[in-house]
Amino acid sequence: MKKILIVEDEEDLCLLYQEELTDEGYDVTTVREAETALDLLRRERFDLIVTDIRMPGRDGVELITQIVGLRKDIPIVINTAYQSYKDDFMTWAADAYVVKSPSLTELKARIKELLSR
Amino acid sequence: MTSPSELRRDPVSGRWVIIAAGRSKRPDEYRTERRSWVRKPGPFLFCPFCSGHEAKTPPAIATVPVPGAGPGDSGWRVRVVPNKFPALTRGEAPIPHRRGLFESMEGIGVHEVLIESPDHEADLPDLPPDHVRGILSACQDRFRSIEAEPQYAYIQLFKNKGPEAGASLSHPHFQIVATPIIPKRVEEEINASELHLRQTGECLFCRTLGEELDAADRVVRANGHCAAIAPFASRFPFEMRIFPRRHSPYFSSASPEEIAALGDVLQTVLASLRSLLDDPPFNIILHQGPHPARARELWPDIDRISHWYIEIIPVLTRVAGFEWGTGFYINPVVPEDAAFFLRG
Repeated sequence: MKKILIVEDEEDLCLLYQEELTDEGYDVTTVREAETALDLLRRERFDLIVTDIRMPGRDGVELITQIVGLRKDIPIVINTAYQSYKDDFMTWAADAYVVKSPSLTELKARIKELLSR
Repeated sequence: MTSPSELRRDPVSGRWVIIAAGRSKRPDEYRTERRSWVRKPGPFLFCPFCSGHEAKTPPAIATVPVPGAGPGDSGWRVRVVPNKFPALTRGEAPIPHRRGLFESMEGIGVHEVLIESPDHEADLPDLPPDHVRGILSACQDRFRSIEAEPQYAYIQLFKNKGPEAGASLSHPHFQIVATPIIPKRVEEEINASELHLRQTGECLFCRTLGEELDAADRVVRANGHCAAIAPFASRFPFEMRIFPRRHSPYFSSASPEEIAALGDVLQTVLASLRSLLDDPPFNIILHQGPHPARARELWPDIDRISHWYIEIIPVLTRVAGFEWGTGFYINPVVPEDAAFFLRG
């Protein structure tokens, strides 16, 4: 079973992603901040990371650049409500950029695509 | 798929704006926004443009190989890649929609990034001249390729250096954006040149360059093919324009000799700017004619009235209320003095 780490500061969204992605057959872990995600990544192996950008403490752009320093091969999906971070070339550390939407169709499609590479 | 952006036209000014899809930020988030400006990649920092991180960019559209590289050699000097997360996405010619006064269309376009060097710290004035020629020639090649697609009415080459100039990453790069509409500013320049042609029978840009070269006091650097000047009515301190001496509407038609000469002028004036103003933030902007097929519909004499040139704008002052309200700029540096200092 593929292991996905979700980094998302909003509790309701964590619950939604946990439920929806578990239904898709993934082993899902959710954390609420970047520091916790980095600690976890040093101890456990994940197959893919989905991260928000605007979070308390270290933001998602800093997080993904740190992740690339730890593990270059892990696919990363940015999942944010904002298009504007596309202007920031540091987001190229991620493999996909999905703007949050009430439907998780695109997020699920990009996860599936990246995990099948 | 993420919904595409939209182009919207202001009914009063006629200016077009790219409206990005997705939710807008909350006002407080603009107050706290930080830029990911990275001067030097450390052990845990990441730069997608550095050598060794090619897998994090889309596949290259064009590369300039390192000198002497064989066909299978992966070494590169210059790479052009599509923007991974573009502001505009490729597509067919968009159909304008109109509701009352309000006109809009789907945000189709081209958005590419030209990485100037595999070296994060390589600054354009310090590169070998043949490397700079490679950068400029790669830009020309991309322009020729995009010009084959007439749905893209205008191609813009630009460089943002420094966070104050809009750069999010310090690794030197240019960007190429092609839009399905002709920008308002380009229209204004061509209209002014068309009027001058009707009144005098000559190209406004050729005449301007001729008078600047005759006066000489605003010339920063000149060679056989190009000249950099501090414009007579510069809006910003140490603003410069580099004109080719030969009349030509399109950058892609510059000869190898003109490209070499442009590289020489560009390197020299950027080195002067860096030395004089302690490596200031700046923007480089290329001006040229719109796509010939589209331009000839509006300006039958486009080949005579459009003249490509490069603008360099150091970001040393802020555009504030007076400038926004009137279009007047207050420049605290006399252009003749700017040229004097830039000549060294």
